[in-house]
Amino acid sequence: MSRAAQGRTTQGPANPSARPTRRSLPRRLGRWLVVFVGLLVLGQALVVAEVDPRALVEGLGGGARLVADGLPPDPAALPSAGLAVLQTVDIALVATVVATLLAIPFGAAAARPRTGGQLLSAPIRAVAAFLRAIPDLVWALVFVAAVGLGPFAGVLALTVHSLGMLVRLFAESIEEMDGGPAEALLAAGATRAQVFSHAVVPELLPTLGSLALYRLEQNVRSSLVLGFVGAGGIGFQLLSAMEEFQYRQASMLLLVLFALVTVFELGSARVRAALR
Amino acid sequence: MSQPLLGITGLSKRYPNGTQALDSVGLRVGAGELVALLGPNGSGKSTLLRCVVRLVEPDSGSVRVADTELIGLRGGSLRRARTGVALIFQQARLVRRRSALDNVAAGALAHHPGPRTALGWLPPGERARAAVLLARVGASEIAGQRADTLSGGQAQRTAIARALAQRPAVLLADEPVANLDPEAAAATMALLRELAHTERLAVLCVLHQPALALAYADRVVLLNRGRVVLDRACSDTDPAALAGAG
Repeated sequence: MSRAAQGRTTQGPANPSARPTRRSLPRRLGRWLVVFVGLLVLGQALVVAEVDPRALVEGLGGGARLVADGLPPDPAALPSAGLAVLQTVDIALVATVVATLLAIPFGAAAARPRTGGQLLSAPIRAVAAFLRAIPDLVWALVFVAAVGLGPFAGVLALTVHSLGMLVRLFAESIEEMDGGPAEALLAAGATRAQVFSHAVVPELLPTLGSLALYRLEQNVRSSLVLGFVGAGGIGFQLLSAMEEFQYRQASMLLLVLFALVTVFELGSARVRAALR
Repeated sequence: MSQPLLGITGLSKRYPNGTQALDSVGLRVGAGELVALLGPNGSGKSTLLRCVVRLVEPDSGSVRVADTELIGLRGGSLRRARTGVALIFQQARLVRRRSALDNVAAGALAHHPGPRTALGWLPPGERARAAVLLARVGASEIAGQRADTLSGGQAQRTAIARALAQRPAVLLADEPVANLDPEAAAATMALLRELAHTERLAVLCVLHQPALALAYADRVVLLNRGRVVLDRACSDTDPAALAGAG
């Protein structure tokens, strides 16, 4: 081959207007197969989930009647909602604080590279995965059976579920952080606990704070529905109002919930920004 | 040379990928002496320093600091021995969200084992001493400043003060001026030399610039492919012998 020809070979096609090579037949067939299988999966999902647009259209009237029955919201529901709102927030608050405090050491032990031993990491991660795999509503059923109806069952349910989530998130944050300051203290003879409290925690504090606040937001939302299974909070009142066809009271409670969640999201976003 | 504070004998390290980073390295640094360690990239300089403090485990050899053999120590014995050898890194490696003063005081944690320091407490005595050490390295004005607001030179001075907080006999510095401008680099080297001479520390400093080594060090050691190929007083060293060493 001449040098010129070699140059062309290595620098791409000599004629830029030349048509690109067509994809081979097996690759094209493979793509169509992927599309076909995708459509098949989606189709069975629509059937199994009994998705029926006609039912939606026919039922719109009933939904509209329910909304109309709920208007205007009844302010008479407000006084009794006060304590329930406080209980809802408190369930989330206690659960988040306890889960965060527990998740810091367990997250450190579950982190693979620097803190904690390899031996502890796998079992702690497995337990944490189990705790978060069970929905908090199911945990609430378990704890209602264990400690009886009331907010304490809600606290336990959210604590356990949050612990599973936070251990994983804390461990990942520790693994991804800059290990330089920790290594510097280790080389200076500090103990692992000293390295953790003096180098890891200060570096991770904004991240841990953000994760805990985000979890608090989620727990406030979750604690609303825990009342449906008797685990305290405003959810129980909402369920009672719906069952007794007190839709105006129910809509008032929904407004309160909306305000509560909005206030929490705004407040937590501000605190997270300040932590950076 | 008087009795060396740092004595390295037959130190070898082969990494799992087969690289022979250190091949029977022998080196001595006496009290009050600043030794510059030069060598091309991959010659084993950083590995040598990390083996001395056992951040990297050597395969064989001996590391003596004063009268203590570091190789073979474990747990609390290793932690106590590590206080005698302070390592300064290329990056200052300060805790960014803490003040320069707290970073310096944290260098003394090994002298205060116990539950309170394990929970994040710093002894007031060490914080007072940290202020003195920051003044000692000419950085007292930044004591209250958060570490992530410091310039490169200020951060490196803080790291040197943190190293002194350990109360070491030996100071190891791994390319401490690599990220500094020429002025800050010269000031840092002058500080290391002054610490060696006045505090009677044994200082071993990895450098990439032969000119800095000849200007500030008492002795120069050249490492190549994990072996010491030159170990000579700076006054007897021809700059041409160090050409390409960085």
